[in-house]
Amino acid sequence: MSRKQVSLVNIFISSFIAFMALFILGPLIWLAVHAFATSWTYPNLLPDGFTFTWWKTIAGDQELVKSVKNSLLISPIVVLISAVVCLPAAYAFSRYQFFGRKSFLIGMFAANAFPKIGLYASIATLYYTLNLMGTIVGVIIIQLLGTIIFMTWIPAAAFGSVPRNLEDAARDAGASKLRTFWDITFRLALPGILVAMVMSFLASFDEAQGTYLVGVPTIYTMPTKMYALVLNYPVQIAAVFSLLLAIPSVLLISIARKHIIGGQLADGFQIK
Amino acid sequence: MSNSTGSGGLELQGLKKILGGRVIIDDLNLTVNKGEMVSLLGPSGCGKTTTLRMIAGFLIPDAGRVVLAGNDVTNTGPEKRPSAMVFQNYALWPHMSVYKNVAYPLKLRKMNKSEITKRVHNVLELVNLMHHKDSRPSQISGGEQQRVALARALVQEPDVLLLDEPLSNLDAKLRVKVREDIRDLQRRLGITTVIVTHDQDEALSISDRIAVMNGGRIEQFSSPQELYDRPATEYVANFIGSLNHLTGDYSNGRVTVGTKTIGIRPEDVHFTSTNESNGFEATVDHVVPRGHFSEVYLKREDAELRAFMSTNIPAVGEKGYAVIKKALIYENGKLLKVE
Amino acid sequence: MDKTNSINNQESFAVNKTAKLSWFGFFMALPPVLVIICFVGAPILIAAGLSLGFTGGPNRIIALIGQEISTKTHWWGTLDGYKSVINDPRFGGDLRVTLGVTVVATTIVIFMALGMAIYRRVIGGRLATILVSLSLIPLFVPVVISAFAIRTFYDGTGFVKSLLTHFGIDFPTLTMTNSAIAIGTIWTSLPFAILMISSGLQAIPDALIESAQDAGASFIRIIYTIMVPLAFVPIVIATTFTAIGIMGSFTIPYFLGPNQPAMLGVEITNFFNSYNRPQQSVVMAFVIFGAASLIAIFYVWANLRSAKQSGRI
Repeated sequence: MSRKQVSLVNIFISSFIAFMALFILGPLIWLAVHAFATSWTYPNLLPDGFTFTWWKTIAGDQELVKSVKNSLLISPIVVLISAVVCLPAAYAFSRYQFFGRKSFLIGMFAANAFPKIGLYASIATLYYTLNLMGTIVGVIIIQLLGTIIFMTWIPAAAFGSVPRNLEDAARDAGASKLRTFWDITFRLALPGILVAMVMSFLASFDEAQGTYLVGVPTIYTMPTKMYALVLNYPVQIAAVFSLLLAIPSVLLISIARKHIIGGQLADGFQIK
Repeated sequence: MSNSTGSGGLELQGLKKILGGRVIIDDLNLTVNKGEMVSLLGPSGCGKTTTLRMIAGFLIPDAGRVVLAGNDVTNTGPEKRPSAMVFQNYALWPHMSVYKNVAYPLKLRKMNKSEITKRVHNVLELVNLMHHKDSRPSQISGGEQQRVALARALVQEPDVLLLDEPLSNLDAKLRVKVREDIRDLQRRLGITTVIVTHDQDEALSISDRIAVMNGGRIEQFSSPQELYDRPATEYVANFIGSLNHLTGDYSNGRVTVGTKTIGIRPEDVHFTSTNESNGFEATVDHVVPRGHFSEVYLKREDAELRAFMSTNIPAVGEKGYAVIKKALIYENGKLLKVE
Repeated sequence: MDKTNSINNQESFAVNKTAKLSWFGFFMALPPVLVIICFVGAPILIAAGLSLGFTGGPNRIIALIGQEISTKTHWWGTLDGYKSVINDPRFGGDLRVTLGVTVVATTIVIFMALGMAIYRRVIGGRLATILVSLSLIPLFVPVVISAFAIRTFYDGTGFVKSLLTHFGIDFPTLTMTNSAIAIGTIWTSLPFAILMISSGLQAIPDALIESAQDAGASFIRIIYTIMVPLAFVPIVIATTFTAIGIMGSFTIPYFLGPNQPAMLGVEITNFFNSYNRPQQSVVMAFVIFGAASLIAIFYVWANLRSAKQSGRI
């Protein structure tokens, strides 16, 4: 490429990045500013004034605080249960050949392709029979469903990519099968498992439709509360609540970002 | 070389292994004496790695016994065998430092900390890697990784050291050096060693004895010199060193009409301008310089012979006499005689 | 020679064989499968029953409460539920919007992701890293927030309209239009598509690209003869997951879309909650499921093809 072409490409790339920054970050920043705005006059690009009143309002609203607590309680439980249920399966998928293995994998995918909303009528029926309506257990199960794909596929790929000779070397060094699993296999698959946990946490933390159907009016989580807020409160309250809702996600990015970009997530989505 | 039973060494008795419905190893017998270094040599697929994995305990033989240092370990898991292995691509644990890699086997043996430190330091000094003890495997060179793998095996003070193609991932220069280092260490520690390789140079230069494998069996098990001078089968003769092939009968340096296979090492073919001793007429067809010697292709109307010569290299087209100093005569693949 | 070769295969088979037929593995793999069978499989079956007019058993109560429920007339049920949905003039509009938004948004997402991933693979550098990191942000933002943020950004008093007013441009209010749904779904779908495609492209060895350059292939030609074919499976996965996700989405169209016609994900909820017509709601879910299954077949085919090519099966 000539020098002129290079600089043209650079100009194009730079303006594309500017566009993407506006496209991706614009809405988030616009919303974040609302959380501190007294009021806003159209078409000004800045609010009329800044305030922390909206934060105090939320801190004082018992129901909103309760929904925060619910979310922070339920999501970790969901991730934990999901890990217990799915991680052994992930290991099995990566290391054993068994009857129905491929059907299991494809079945999991198919289950994910059915719009969840279409299930809720039947799930509601099932829940009435099992007495799960309006219970924490009911909400946990609903949220668990959205995490299974992440918690099975991503760790399965991670276990699968641990070289067998590293395990052999540990056995040769005198480690039992179990010890080898903990010291080598699990340890090396940990980034993948971490990514799976982050994705599962976010899936659970964000789940709104199912939780709404099963939990409301007894159990509100942050996202289900958000639906109500958007319709019934000033924009600023919803903005504050959005920021609160985004905190766990932002924290988790910093932990797992490297591994997610590193391909752990992508590896999980190929059937092997 | 003494032929005593390898008490304290390694004995494989009638090993058989079937994988995927096919026989990989069939009735394999091998005795390695204590302190001896033995190569399993053969092309890829001859079953040498399978044999090594049975010695290490990763595969359980379908028949036969593995005896290590006088104990039958045929059905013992790899973690309980007194053997230590250096893997082909080293299999260093990427999440542990060099020190931790080497210390791991000792930690599993529940040794106390100061003892572990002492032994790890000793062995790291032995392989000259003390300065890298806190590095990660990914931060050091291939040759250094190889030495870490060796240290991790040696620190276990195993009865038998197993090396799986230990040099195949190193570049040519380093290979010769590391090969000498391994041989030197092995001699100093007097450790019984089995090394798997497909490289005849490596096997010839490093081993006390070599087992040449073919199709899951041992074709010949003898010292490097014996292997070269008297290859027991045509297969071994072809595999070790270079060979000219002729069909016929052989006597007194002359090839006559016949059905036997005659193998002649290129260095046993001499080319002279005058017929001194029973040679036959030949013309120099072409010459390939190979550094410290030259490969001379000699032609007659019905045959071609290669000769390795280091002095008095003839010119192309020169006529003269080819003299055969030594020939290996095979019938049905087996060595009949050496003349 | 022949013999040596065949033995060679056996040996590598023996050493590399990572899996064994095992009941142990089967039972380890069972728990998540059971959860799915109980809480997704069974409900799907019950829902299928309802859509076909099986109003007894687990569907008894819902059939009692719901309105306009057709009951089965044959042993296999009835298609009246499906007919009533198809004959509803609203449904045609909803379906068109759903498929339209899915096709448009998926196409844009995949092309944007391809472009950025190719840029990162071929040129790389700091700008590429910034670009990719930027595009991954939506992955970590809860959908509810994304929907709400995009809604405020593009609505009648939003940033876009405010900014352009200062330049004297009367920009249309996008919120409550199908364009807003497309913008929202692109926003939320981009990260996954980029992750998939970029990791696929990064895995292509430099040598393959350089040898094509060496052979005189142009940049464009390298893209469609080397890079895209080699990253085919990740691209298919990205496409199918994006399309399936968009087709069944609820939150984005609920917050950003018009009331009429709406995407089917929203209509399913409306019919179930607001209109109390659960049978029609379930029928629509199966329409989406049917379309998603067609896409899913493509996904499975691509995966199996790559498994065959690399000799895994």
